[in-house]
Amino acid sequence: MVLISMGIVFVIALLISLPIVFSLGASAVVGLVLGGYPLQQLGSTIISASQSWVLLAIPSFIFAGSVMEKCGMSQALVELARAMVGWVRGGLGMSVIVVSYFFSDICGSKMAEVSALSSALMDPLKKSGYRAEDAASLISAGTAMGMLVPPAIFMIVISAVTNQSAVTLFLAGFIPAATIGVCLCLLVLIQAHVLGWPKDSRPSFVRLAKAFKNAAVPLVIPVVILGGFYMGAFTATEAGAIVALYSLLAAKLYYRNVTWREICSIAYQSGIMTASVIFLLAVATVFQYILGVSGVPQLFAKILAPLEAYHWTFLLGVALITMLFGMVLEGLPAAVVLIPVVYPIAVKLGIHPIHFDIVQTAAVGIGLFLPPMGVGLLMALKFANIGVAQHFKYYWPYLLALFVGLMLIITIPELSLMLPRSAGLVK
Amino acid sequence: MAKLISFTPKFIVGFLVLFSISVMLCGVFLRYVMLPITDWMDVDPVNFFWVEEVGELALTWLVMIGAALGVAENSHFYLTVFTHKLSAAAQRRMAILNQLIIASFGALIAWICFKLFTLNSGLTSPALEISLGLFYVSATFGGILMALQAGGNIRRLHTGEQPNTAGGH
Repeated sequence: MVLISMGIVFVIALLISLPIVFSLGASAVVGLVLGGYPLQQLGSTIISASQSWVLLAIPSFIFAGSVMEKCGMSQALVELARAMVGWVRGGLGMSVIVVSYFFSDICGSKMAEVSALSSALMDPLKKSGYRAEDAASLISAGTAMGMLVPPAIFMIVISAVTNQSAVTLFLAGFIPAATIGVCLCLLVLIQAHVLGWPKDSRPSFVRLAKAFKNAAVPLVIPVVILGGFYMGAFTATEAGAIVALYSLLAAKLYYRNVTWREICSIAYQSGIMTASVIFLLAVATVFQYILGVSGVPQLFAKILAPLEAYHWTFLLGVALITMLFGMVLEGLPAAVVLIPVVYPIAVKLGIHPIHFDIVQTAAVGIGLFLPPMGVGLLMALKFANIGVAQHFKYYWPYLLALFVGLMLIITIPELSLMLPRSAGLVK
Repeated sequence: MAKLISFTPKFIVGFLVLFSISVMLCGVFLRYVMLPITDWMDVDPVNFFWVEEVGELALTWLVMIGAALGVAENSHFYLTVFTHKLSAAAQRRMAILNQLIIASFGALIAWICFKLFTLNSGLTSPALEISLGLFYVSATFGGILMALQAGGNIRRLHTGEQPNTAGGH
């Protein structure tokens, strides 16, 4: 009765376009009242969930990413990627995948990434003879892959939700992201030869060196993150602070194109975005509490029982559900509602928590760009000025490549565990 | 005066972001620079345990005030399933209903957390020994501000002015 009432309130609230966090809040209040639980649970859970050292990394990474975007570092990365792979057939397309990988390293927000990459790459791609549909597909698929490249905000949230180390999860993401990246590059290579996509002229050594020099400032960040985490030098929260300071110094001392007024505005916008993410997580914790005491995890365990024979069937089943949730509800709300319910089942089955988290992160990344409702995809299509149906005819091979990458990550756990294991972070 | 009232929470959010980053940097400096120095000089180490508490307190206030401002900025995630197909008048009525729910939720949080504040204000944190009520009172402020922001949106909807729809997802 309690669960049905909560479900009805939640669905009606979503349908009338009440923000998801308040839809969760309203149904949690209904659940607490009907279930006879004290309303104080609402206040105490919201405060305890938002009082987290790990989540403190979120404002720093959002702030750092926004400052770097303001400086124009994305343009330097685009130039570098073009110089590196633009001269092979389909190279410009591949450079979108390469730049997505590097750009995800400096930008914590997927929406900001789609916006930045679309602004920087849509016109050059179209001018070079790529159809608008292919340009939007490349940017969407590349950004979906980038979900696995640290410091994705989603990874910080999922590490908090599943009580895993954010550093371990960050390290675990590099190779799976590269795996999906290779699948996408192979697809681009095949399409380039079939469709006769153009190639840039081979860059001179001077142009390559200049591109590296211009991109050196943003490229320090993946080195700091990967090196620092690998050697166990600092935590994710400390890395966030270091990267934020670095971006501020780069903006003021090297690029010199960002004013203090703009820095303050970025700080404010970062604060609003941080609050949206963490408040959602906090309110969803109350929702999860009621689901937990009402026996929903046990119910899910029964529903998913047929998939439990093999790890890969279970992971694939949960990933497909997460993808659909991610498409409809967006990545974060999907994670905070669904993952805490299925995570204990995965652990019980003997699936490594880090492997589980990486698969779910990849699934959420794909879900954000899944037609017809993935918000990341809709944003990329807005830049390309084309409709979902028109785009899908050209997009399905990219979705297939993303699924192949996801299957590789699911079936080969070592792809996720190799780096953290060699760093001594997992057994 | 009205400008000052609307500017203050925005200033607080921006300040809290920069402040929390500074606190974390301070922690990094104390841990990686000062600690080895004090070890080498064989003197009492500098205490940096306060960093975590101050950072968490700043984050709690940032989240509660930022979430309230997010109501005016329309920054919270939402779905548009069918409301955009309704007539303009029906859309406005739906938007007013949503803002009423948000205002009620904000008021409820403010009330609950004020009670928790009075209950916990005598308890202190382990490192800095500051009152734990400071965490709960952030939600009281945030809840009141949320209700006020939603009230402002309702007023704008009544006068035919569109609330900010630039943000959101």
